[in-house]
Amino acid sequence: MIVKEWCMYCGECAGVCPRNLIEVREISLNFNEKECKDCQICLQVCPVQALEKRND
Amino acid sequence: MMETDILVIGAGPAGSTAAKHAAIGGANVIVIDKKSEIGTPKRCAEGVSKDGLKKLGIELSPRWIAKEATGVRMVSPNGTAVNLTEDKVKLPEAGYILERKIFDKHMAMDAGRAGAKIMVKTLATGLRREEDQVMVTVENMGEELEIKAKIVIAADGPESRVGRWAGIKTALKPKNMESCAQFEMAGVQMAEPDCIEFHFGSVAPGGYAWIFPKGDDIANVGLGVLTTITDKSAYEHLLEFVESNPATKNAQPVELNIGGDPVGGLLKKMVADNVLVTGDAASMVNPLTGGGIISGMLGGRIAGQVAAQAVADGDYSHKNLKVYEKLCEDELGESFKKYLKAKEYLLSLSDEELDEIAEVFKDSDFETINTAEMVRKLVKISPKALLKLGKLF
Repeated sequence: MIVKEWCMYCGECAGVCPRNLIEVREISLNFNEKECKDCQICLQVCPVQALEKRND
Repeated sequence: MMETDILVIGAGPAGSTAAKHAAIGGANVIVIDKKSEIGTPKRCAEGVSKDGLKKLGIELSPRWIAKEATGVRMVSPNGTAVNLTEDKVKLPEAGYILERKIFDKHMAMDAGRAGAKIMVKTLATGLRREEDQVMVTVENMGEELEIKAKIVIAADGPESRVGRWAGIKTALKPKNMESCAQFEMAGVQMAEPDCIEFHFGSVAPGGYAWIFPKGDDIANVGLGVLTTITDKSAYEHLLEFVESNPATKNAQPVELNIGGDPVGGLLKKMVADNVLVTGDAASMVNPLTGGGIISGMLGGRIAGQVAAQAVADGDYSHKNLKVYEKLCEDELGESFKKYLKAKEYLLSLSDEELDEIAEVFKDSDFETINTAEMVRKLVKISPKALLKLGKLF
């Protein structure tokens, strides 16, 4: 997952992640990509579209 | 390692209220908040009801009241406005517009005065059970600490992780989480500067847009959308709203706030062994208005009282804490069910139907009609109101 620089760390993505893989600190966002099953719920709820799927 | 009876995680209004009442109940309390300044940045439109503050016994202070709102202005998609004043119709979230940055700190100070120890810039990073207590790892100014507590009250907001660590399902489906974006703006020219303003329809799919006056030409201008029914982000909808609305098109933003609003109604499970979830983390938000300050504090108060009692009992089990769910259901859950129904009805209306309803109500004399009569009138214009609202009020 790519976190764009305009992320405001509101934590909305963390709140909906069904696998609890996102950790938002005051000014950082950690994403445990290994466990991610690509449900993309986090992408949908971001109010500023700060998350983007990585195209590997 | 630190030890305490009750550890409250998150010092928003719900967390601070929980801490205050737990301390009043005789427990040792620590409150931690990840932010260096409690209440900053704000995460809402800052409206609270007068009745709510009264019910909580909070003494009013001009330090945190930005403005008193004496009415509500509801605007349909074509701009037709219905004005209601609070002496005529009971409105759940009208009353005061707060300055959250001061209010949240005020509530935390209240908790501190009641005896709670407050630790700022302290982030909870994990939780594990140890015998009949819990060990919470936290990061404080880059240093890792452990806090041993008998009970943890999770008041960590819509992004709640603490409840999940304890096995409570706090992750919400996108249809239950409204995505919100808001500007605080200067240069706002409101038609009714003493009214809070709501805009309905496709301007904010799944939610509504608001303009809450904070005095002079300053207002919180924001909206919430359900991402399940729009492809645009809340921020994009906000930009469109601000540009198209006569009140805000010449205004300038000085702050951007974003974040989720859990609008699906109370969580079913809010308790685990040693853990209670409260506030936004437990979805204690009016599903119709999205307002959650008062309801969060009412829930927080119950959490604090129940936790303090459990400490006095020496029993922190799920079974002993379960009374919390029942008390919250009585205090909030029942009314939330009503509001959820009303919201479903509102969301089922097209822009044209909303315009029609506003047209009929705009010249109504609300002095002589009550809620039941309003619904009766509504049923005449919109027959589906009978189906969805008839039995509610």
